[in-house]
Amino acid sequence: MSSATSFTDNEAIITYASRLMDENRLYFVAIGGPPLLAVLLAKQLHAPSIAYVVEDGTIAPEMRLPAPAFMIGAGLASSRAVAWTDMNTVDFHASRGYIDDGVLAAVQVDAYGNFNSTFAGGTYDRPERRFGGPGGATEIASLCWRTMLMTRLQRRKFVEKLDFVSSPGYIDGTPGARERAGLPADTGPYRVITERAMFGFDDETHRMKLLAVAPWSSVDDVLSDMEFRPVVPDDVALLEPPTERELDVLRTQVDPSGRTIAGDWIVLDGAPQAAKAAPVAGTS
Amino acid sequence: MTAHAIPVLDQGAGEFRPPDPDAARRWARDKDRRLVDKRMTEHDAVERFVADGSYVSYDTNVWRRGPSSLMREIVRQHKRDLWIAAKFSAHDATLLTAGGCVSKIDVGWMEVGHIITDAVREGRVKMFEWTNGALAYRHLAGALGVPFLPLRYVGGTDVFHNSGAQLIEDPYTGQPVCLVPAVNPDVALIHVNQCDIYGNARVFGPGLAPVETAMASRHVILSTEEIIDTDEIRKHPALTTIPYYVVDAVVHAPFGCYPGSVPGLYRADLEHLMEFGAAQLQGTMDAYLEKWVYGVTSHTEMMEKRVGLAKMQQLQADETHTEGYYT
Repeated sequence: MSSATSFTDNEAIITYASRLMDENRLYFVAIGGPPLLAVLLAKQLHAPSIAYVVEDGTIAPEMRLPAPAFMIGAGLASSRAVAWTDMNTVDFHASRGYIDDGVLAAVQVDAYGNFNSTFAGGTYDRPERRFGGPGGATEIASLCWRTMLMTRLQRRKFVEKLDFVSSPGYIDGTPGARERAGLPADTGPYRVITERAMFGFDDETHRMKLLAVAPWSSVDDVLSDMEFRPVVPDDVALLEPPTERELDVLRTQVDPSGRTIAGDWIVLDGAPQAAKAAPVAGTS
Repeated sequence: MTAHAIPVLDQGAGEFRPPDPDAARRWARDKDRRLVDKRMTEHDAVERFVADGSYVSYDTNVWRRGPSSLMREIVRQHKRDLWIAAKFSAHDATLLTAGGCVSKIDVGWMEVGHIITDAVREGRVKMFEWTNGALAYRHLAGALGVPFLPLRYVGGTDVFHNSGAQLIEDPYTGQPVCLVPAVNPDVALIHVNQCDIYGNARVFGPGLAPVETAMASRHVILSTEEIIDTDEIRKHPALTTIPYYVVDAVVHAPFGCYPGSVPGLYRADLEHLMEFGAAQLQGTMDAYLEKWVYGVTSHTEMMEKRVGLAKMQQLQADETHTEGYYT
């Protein structure tokens, strides 16, 4: 499949996340936003029977696409589900160990995969920028077996110290830190997905680890946009850019309104391998 | 066997109302057990059951199957000093804050703009960080009549430190486990698809925690799209999720979630949601409130004069997917 040469950062993030998803696992997504789009894209492309659970109690819906513009308020988003329950019920399913992967968007993340969705700058009582709050992310990141985080690679987002820990990663990275905080055993962050780099976590130290970099970027480019230094192994893989087919399905079926996939454009000049990213004015 | 204390390993510093399950039981004891007609206007229901200083919990939100008409009535009546549970809220929390009704917000998630941020910075509103699930679960504890429940999240975060949660050593496994306190709101506002005049209610579709919210609360105001015969209720008892004896008021409110959607009946009015967003961004919220809240005397008048029949019919016609709700 041919690589695309023009896409937004959010389209890249959603595409990379969708590639990690398969039909053998059950996913937990918050209501609306990039994580839901990633599952829908995987369902359209390579995992037609993939199942996901939504925070509002919807279990394994089969929404007809193209998706409606305002998915968060649309009944269609819950259609053809196997069950309509409520928030407590799906949280119980996660707590009981039935939900494999939580897929979440983060405002700010630290080296151990803890993340913030509460405020940036100032203090809790006098925030410079206040966000919506933890929502369902804290229970999803605590109770699912693995957590996938989606965010843009920016220095102000990959920080040494979070302004506020809304949801837990490996906490301080020490062995058993999550269990000592009352969280279920054998759980934790699995991947952090950005438009230019994919991260995992070191098995021993639980510190974020660079796994793959996009062809128009480089290890140095990635590190220059992070406050903390992740583990950098010798063998960093290539992150294949979104294909034309992935973008076509994303744009025409999954988010035809363009509300969620809008972002800063990445325009590759010529062949991707030799490309230099040329950011152009974005919508966000 | 010797008695010994359960070690508290850590606890949050957030403010919360101390749970009092016996007080909650006494509220229940004092409610009317007879089948009595509970229909009243939204004005009377809010005037009677929402007091200044009340803890108010609504379900779901202004986007989907939420009690929007009741929330506008709270603003219209200038209720003050409310403590609200924003468990997956939309712009509802902003509306109540813009109306000067709110002084405390338990946060799960809510749509936030400068109205709430300014109110927090200026000390007019105090927030307490929880999560959507933790708030729904605290309502479950309130609904069960117990003072707290254990859960396996909240720990390891600043949410924990800013909340009323505790981390204890579980007396059964010896492992650390978190506890959250029950919440028993003074009043629940719940928009339902159908109910009878006594409050036997049906809620269709996935949702937040309508049953837990009703069961946990001291007073329960239902707004309903449709009032149906009790005979119809008795023919399909499996559809009833909230029984009459927990309900205090039944407010007939077609399009009660407007500008949001009741799935299966009408879609959300995106133009209106954008009008709200623009009013916040452009600093014209006073004009918005005058037009949609203060300038009309009731939800019915607002729908007739501000929305209009043609728009209502359009919103209904556009909601083509009804499977699972009314079929």
